Amino acid sequence: MNAAAHSQDRIKHAFLWPAFLIVLLISLFPLIYALSVSFQTMRLVPPTPPRFVGVSNYADVLVSARFWGSVWTTAIIVFASVALQYVIGFALALALHHNVPGAALYRVTFLLPMFLAPVCVALIARMIFHPVVGPVNDLFTFLGAPNIPFLTQPKLALAVLVTIEVWQWTPFVVLLMLAGLQGLPAEVFEAARVDNIPAWRRFRDITFPMLLPLSVAVVFIRLIEGFKIIDTVFVLTGGGPGTSTETVTLYAYNEGFKKFNIGMTSALSFVFLVVIILFGTVYLAAAQRLTRKYA
Amino acid sequence: MSHVELNQITKSFGATSVIPPLDLAIEKGEFLVLVGPSGCGKTTTLRMLAGLESASSGSIRINGRDVTHARPGERDCAMVFQNYALYPHMSVRENIGYAMKVHGTDKAVIAERVTEASRLLGLDPYLDRKPKNLSGGQRQRVAIGRALVRHPQVFLFDEPLSNLDAKLRVEMRTEIKLLQRRLGTTAVYVTHDQVEAMTMADRVVVMRAGRIEQAADPITLYERPANRFVANFIGSPAMNFLNATIADGAVRVGDQVLSLPPDEAARLGARGSVIFGIRPEHMRASEHQAALSFVPEAVEPLGPHTLVLGRLAGEKITAQVDPRFPVTPGAPCTVPIDMTQAHFFDPQTEQRL
Repeated sequence: MNAAAHSQDRIKHAFLWPAFLIVLLISLFPLIYALSVSFQTMRLVPPTPPRFVGVSNYADVLVSARFWGSVWTTAIIVFASVALQYVIGFALALALHHNVPGAALYRVTFLLPMFLAPVCVALIARMIFHPVVGPVNDLFTFLGAPNIPFLTQPKLALAVLVTIEVWQWTPFVVLLMLAGLQGLPAEVFEAARVDNIPAWRRFRDITFPMLLPLSVAVVFIRLIEGFKIIDTVFVLTGGGPGTSTETVTLYAYNEGFKKFNIGMTSALSFVFLVVIILFGTVYLAAAQRLTRKYA
Repeated sequence: MSHVELNQITKSFGATSVIPPLDLAIEKGEFLVLVGPSGCGKTTTLRMLAGLESASSGSIRINGRDVTHARPGERDCAMVFQNYALYPHMSVRENIGYAMKVHGTDKAVIAERVTEASRLLGLDPYLDRKPKNLSGGQRQRVAIGRALVRHPQVFLFDEPLSNLDAKLRVEMRTEIKLLQRRLGTTAVYVTHDQVEAMTMADRVVVMRAGRIEQAADPITLYERPANRFVANFIGSPAMNFLNATIADGAVRVGDQVLSLPPDEAARLGARGSVIFGIRPEHMRASEHQAALSFVPEAVEPLGPHTLVLGRLAGEKITAQVDPRFPVTPGAPCTVPIDMTQAHFFDPQTEQRL
């Protein structure tokens, strides 16, 4: 090897290492640190010196009924709300795409909820569904129905959480599906119209399959985002009544910042991460098979 | 009664009128080509016929039935688009059979017609491929197949060959023409390419700014253009136009005198100002020839013949001459003019004299 090649050899380290170190520092280090913490007992209050305990944190998590309860709660909220978001969002996008009168106004108003911070949305919802002063209960009372304990009855509280998620995040689906619809070639639909294909068959056989790859991506984004739900639940129900609306992230928060059990929280987070990765992989594999059938 | 009739059809987008009242009658089995420069309203006219645009006023009849307000699907037309407009997620077979499937046609009938169309269009090896795995020409064949299996009243073609390369375009235009003749289905074909129009049409409709400038068979259009616009649009290279006067049985261009055939001279008489039109390919020897001198600026050999581009009295002029015709750019040259092929237009109205 000659001298020029040598110097080139050395200079590449100058380019590679800074990037590698930055990635290590800001992305991998916290993960590795958290992983190591998950194998220790570590308490902030009262401060106790960390002690290596192997996988016992994980064992504790996996046998905890509260953990499985939170998984179940999260799954219900996420799957129910994303399904509704997709159906309603797609329907609204179709309506906007076909230029209903006043589409421009709708386009803006439909997007507004997405711009609000989830905490604000939760605070608004808490007032709206308030058992005594909330307008929803006012309406029910006015109609002669009994006062409904929206936030204190487990099933109703879950339903309210799903409703809020749908209200806030349907606009996201509308926005993306509308962009997708507007990107479809107009001539294909004109061809179908000339061929006398009825509107709903055009949707089922042309629009839907052509937007399937986008749908897969939109649903995936919403599912992953949905799994992380914490702020809405924290403000609205605090996980209650009891732990009936406690999501996984809220459970982790309670363990870490109410009980200051950092080791346990880290283990919990990793279990959650693994579950999400597994779920994501399975989902994408299934989605790919589905889209390949059409693409 | 004609098979397709447009009566006093107009189209405006807001305050802008793109089609002033337009009348057009198309006979059964006729291959009609709408041709004109961009924005002349040919595509809009076709889309109004298809029902993809609504006519602002007037009426449209297909096969004796008033379809002015009918939805596109109720008009029994089949359309082939410039960008093919195939269903990208369906195979060739599904693309061709889709409309029949939706309309509940018997499966055996669908299979039979798809087979027939694919044999006719040479699509047999590709039936199970998706459009993205086909070439442009194959895609356009699929689009044509999709149109013809429906046995429609009218075929509508919207610049179907514009996205294909030159060689394929020549092949496809013959194929489409033969196919249409074999099926005997009325066809309306839009193009901006005058060669396509001339080679395919039974009748060509030349349009400008929403108006029909001339509707005639290709040869009439070439030999007797109704006005200067048509004369300029049809033929390649385009006709030369020179300001001239007619006196004593001869055309005078500047100080050059070109004598006319006696019957032409008698018909035209003496005129103070005319536009003298002569096609580059008619600059040749004939029974009644004259000579025209000009200064060539460029010479373009094409093989079978050579184009000489120059100027005469400040106007551009193109002559088509034999490959061995002696000419050097810059040195004045004289070409023969076949005066039996001369055209004359009124300078004001631009109509044929």
